[in-house]
Amino acid sequence: MSEHDKIRELLALAAADALTSAEEKQVAEHVRSCIACSNELEAWRPIASELRRLPTPQPSSWLVQATLARAEAKLTEQAEHDWNRRVMIVVVALAWLLTIASWPVFHFVSGRFGSLLEPQFSHTSFSHTWISFAAFTALGWLAGGVAAVMLAIRQRGERRLA
Amino acid sequence: MAVDADVVRLRRGDLNALSELITRYQNRLYRYLLRIVRQPAEAEDLFQQTWLRVVEKIRSFDASRNFDAWLFTLARNLAIDHLRRIRPQSLDEPLANSWHSETVADRIPCKDHTPLDHALAAERRTEISEAMAGLPMMYREVLTLRFEDEMKIEEIAQVTAVPVSTVKSRLRRSLEQLRYALEARYPGGTWQ
Repeated sequence: MSEHDKIRELLALAAADALTSAEEKQVAEHVRSCIACSNELEAWRPIASELRRLPTPQPSSWLVQATLARAEAKLTEQAEHDWNRRVMIVVVALAWLLTIASWPVFHFVSGRFGSLLEPQFSHTSFSHTWISFAAFTALGWLAGGVAAVMLAIRQRGERRLA
Repeated sequence: MAVDADVVRLRRGDLNALSELITRYQNRLYRYLLRIVRQPAEAEDLFQQTWLRVVEKIRSFDASRNFDAWLFTLARNLAIDHLRRIRPQSLDEPLANSWHSETVADRIPCKDHTPLDHALAAERRTEISEAMAGLPMMYREVLTLRFEDEMKIEEIAQVTAVPVSTVKSRLRRSLEQLRYALEARYPGGTWQ
């Protein structure tokens, strides 16, 4: 491809002010000595100029208001969602705390609190305590999990209706 | 700078910041969407969806990035999804409908020009906008971003997620097609 052809490909972009400074310099130098390219560049200019002056269609004020109203609802929904998530984190942390705390309570209730301080309890009583404790914990977490799933399903349904 | 402050406020859930951003970008964003989908009703729906997406995603927005490019990228993705769903052929094929619309400001006469100059200028704009409406979506998009939004080539590359060289070749081809369309409509350059 000759220098002339290369420059010719850049003329439309020159009218669009989309050249690098090096390319601009190249084009400027070439069109000074090439009448054909100079005329071609002049033919591009009115197109670029008219494109820059096309009228801007305006959105209606109704559209802007409606968008704001929907966005406000979305922001509120997000704030609620964030709040629910924070509450959920606190509840889960509390549940863990209670689970851990219930371990000595179990021992206390079953009359084996002393064995905590003096870990010389029999193998059988240890297993019995832990099975009860694990069953209680599993039941609690299962109930919590079912409640969380049900809440999530309900929330999704509400979101779909909104 | 003001945009950055509004973005920070919006991230904290400030509705006034959103209102200011919508006011600032409403014309540019609506025009961009209208240039892509060409139907005012669809552009209006996409305009709303774009701002809802902004609210949804603003926390994941990287503050070191350009908000304009981010906003237009969201709008573009929604518009392209919409076109793929509604009229897949419209991503490549031109439609007969024109998106051209004149504003009140365009009708206000200027002291320096005669009514004839205005009539001719309005006619030229109609011709060029109708020719532009006949171009494929990718070409309409690059023309509106470069000439109407006055985005730099690098910014257009960000919005359209293509390399700078692709933006340049798209821009060149879109101008060539536009000129070809104008010359076919008005042989001998009578549109100028």
